[in-house]
Amino acid sequence: MSTEAVVELTGVTKTFPGVVALNKVDFCVRYNEILGLVGENGAGKSTLMKILIGLYRPDAGQIRIRGQLTTLKDPESAGRNGIGMVFQEGCMIPNLTVCENLFLSHEDGFMRHGLLQHKMIRSAAREVLARVGVTFDPDTVVQTLTPGEQQMVEIARLLWLSSLYEIANPVLILDEPTTVLLEDETKRLFEILQEIKQHASVIFISHRLEEIVENTDRIVVFKDGEYVTQLDPRQAEITEIEKLMVGKELTLDHFWVSEQGEPETDQPEVLGVNGLHLKGKFEPISFSIRRGEIVSLVGLVGSGKEEICECLTGTVKATSGRVAVAGKELRLSSPGDAVDNGIGHIPKERRSAGLALDMSVMDNINLLVLRTLKKRGFIRRRLEKANALKWVTEARIKTPSIHTKSAHLSGGNQQKTIISKWLSSSVKVLILDHPTRGVDVGAKSEIYGRIRKLASSGMSLLIMCDTLEEDIGLCDRMIILKDGRVVRQVQCPPDQKPTPLDLIDAIV
Amino acid sequence: MHAIPKTINQTGKRVLARISTWPTIYFSIGLLVVFVVLFTRGSRGFLSPYNLSSILGSASILFAVGAGVTWAIATGGIDLSIGGLMSLVSVIFIVTVGTIGYWAFLLCVLVGIIGGFTNGLILARVQIPSFIVTLGMGGIFTSMAYLISPRALSAPAHTFGILDLVNGSTMGVRNIYIIAVLVFIVFFVIQRFTVAGRNIFYMGSNIRMSWLSGINVVQSKQLAFMFSGVGASVAGVMLACRQYSGYPTIGNVYILTAIATVIIGGTAMTGGTGGVLNTLIGALIMSVLQNGMTVVGIDVYLQQTILGALVIAIVAISIDRKKLAVIK
Repeated sequence: MSTEAVVELTGVTKTFPGVVALNKVDFCVRYNEILGLVGENGAGKSTLMKILIGLYRPDAGQIRIRGQLTTLKDPESAGRNGIGMVFQEGCMIPNLTVCENLFLSHEDGFMRHGLLQHKMIRSAAREVLARVGVTFDPDTVVQTLTPGEQQMVEIARLLWLSSLYEIANPVLILDEPTTVLLEDETKRLFEILQEIKQHASVIFISHRLEEIVENTDRIVVFKDGEYVTQLDPRQAEITEIEKLMVGKELTLDHFWVSEQGEPETDQPEVLGVNGLHLKGKFEPISFSIRRGEIVSLVGLVGSGKEEICECLTGTVKATSGRVAVAGKELRLSSPGDAVDNGIGHIPKERRSAGLALDMSVMDNINLLVLRTLKKRGFIRRRLEKANALKWVTEARIKTPSIHTKSAHLSGGNQQKTIISKWLSSSVKVLILDHPTRGVDVGAKSEIYGRIRKLASSGMSLLIMCDTLEEDIGLCDRMIILKDGRVVRQVQCPPDQKPTPLDLIDAIV
Repeated sequence: MHAIPKTINQTGKRVLARISTWPTIYFSIGLLVVFVVLFTRGSRGFLSPYNLSSILGSASILFAVGAGVTWAIATGGIDLSIGGLMSLVSVIFIVTVGTIGYWAFLLCVLVGIIGGFTNGLILARVQIPSFIVTLGMGGIFTSMAYLISPRALSAPAHTFGILDLVNGSTMGVRNIYIIAVLVFIVFFVIQRFTVAGRNIFYMGSNIRMSWLSGINVVQSKQLAFMFSGVGASVAGVMLACRQYSGYPTIGNVYILTAIATVIIGGTAMTGGTGGVLNTLIGALIMSVLQNGMTVVGIDVYLQQTILGALVIAIVAISIDRKKLAVIK
């Protein structure tokens, strides 16, 4: 690893109306390194990356690329300087093939007599893909690939472009690439990054500090738009990084285990699932959740856990089986049936499936309880405000007012808004699908606390988390699924939490 | 990366983005004030009682049809069948008013309900984009109007008394205003105070979230397009009474003007925002604009250009581009 910088930013400042997104930031990327960039949401990571790929222009400061003072005026010029980014949500045209996406808008090299030579394109594509260790057919339509494979195609494209522009050491930016990956895909990604590193630099952004510590060469911490420090991953402790990111000591009892009740077998059964079955997705499954219990569904993608939840929320119709809430059997043919019978659901895709973004915090909180905020048949403004205010205070939603559009809140506060919406209604069972995805460390802890409170208030929770640690820390009981079957049930009482290692062989 | 489309001038975009965070109704009221001031200065006759009455008269009709379309647009859809429906209703009204008298009003509203319901039924159940369904249905409504009478029909003289339900006055207030106010009250109450009305806006804002939260989205869509049909039929009757006639092209011009009314009022094409109060302001703006341009002597044919440009400008400012995956 060379200590020389391929990209160097000095005194870079970027302000948006009312916010200093970056404040006199000095930042560099060295040759042949994997740089882990960490910070809470809003710490300035994305702004910095958008400056690097030419989407934003800094208000002040200099950018040097390979020693040369450079202005990056758009993504095109960033590309010519060998800087490219793989976006969280992917940035390809889904209905075109891998080939077409790989060489999009750079097909000139494959022209003979004014016509595109498809044979040439295909063999070039195979070669480019081989460089990132993937072998699928270049004629595959991109939307049929897994998110992991799509990332590989994007990485391959960036590498190919930099060789096209004859850039020796390109810089690849990966923004939270692992949130959409399966465990073995993540492993693969890091293997490939280690190889790529031989002739490129990688900026790796992630909220998962474990993988940052394990896989990067250097860690840079950002907080509130400022560069805080850099760390050597071989010596860094995760708790230390968290402390730097948040700027304060996090509670040691991250998951509020001290508030987890003892398992109480005398509590009534609230959710009863009997022989629920979805053909091709999961085998008949039976389980129940007691009042105040947190049950965690654990398994890889494809284990059937997502589909089980979809059946319970009425999004997908089960092939057979019975579901009962508080002893009453349900007919689940739409989400409305689930909601009416007390099964709530906090979706994974917060923005696209959880919020009315252009409506106010108040409107979002009150959605499910509007019919109860009536007087003489009409919805009353006063009651609406009172209910919204109650929940904003109760859930400590940070918002300028209850009339603020929910789009303007941070991810953590949006999540708290969604949770409040379900709490204000009388759901008995709440299914939490990755409740802390894309939420920063500080807000995570608050959400854990909220989940704990929900349980102690008597709600039954079914959760699926981002990490195994989260599942273990939060739940009272864990159901481990593999290939659509239950392989193990594990009790997780407060004093005898299993470790991820105890469970991992059951999962994979 | 290169796959990111080049955006328009960054600073321009930022200014637009900032303006778009203001409540749209302020913007609409501001626009109304500006136009009123401009035209008052441009012509002394503009504020004359006679001219004001003319402005408010056409605003009433515009509002009735616009208030209906507001519901369709609030779902994130559009209703292009309103022109055809207005024409059909005007013809049915004139044909029947001579024999069934006051019942013709009820019949016409019923036609509007059925027409709008059909729109909603097709687009929600069969799941076709609303602009296709309503474009097609608009053609069908117009064709039905032609089948009843290809020529313009005049109201028989003995029915003029009945037409006074629209053309007359009650205690010094023109009935046409009263009808517009009634339409406003009914729709405003539904929008503001009922769960069904609220659900239409939730659905327009985020249909997937609404469905997952247990809102019956099919029903909400049907309801919204039914309201649109009711608005168009009320406006069709008002128009027929005002012109003492009905014919198959009478409503055509209202496709553009009614949608423009809704948009200028500040209800976004992307759905979920705005409402009938916005459309009330929008109707006043449109009416002031159409009337004022004539009063100050702008060429009638040029007026359409100005209106069209204004609609585009308003959408440019108000649209939430983040909400659209692709600008079509």
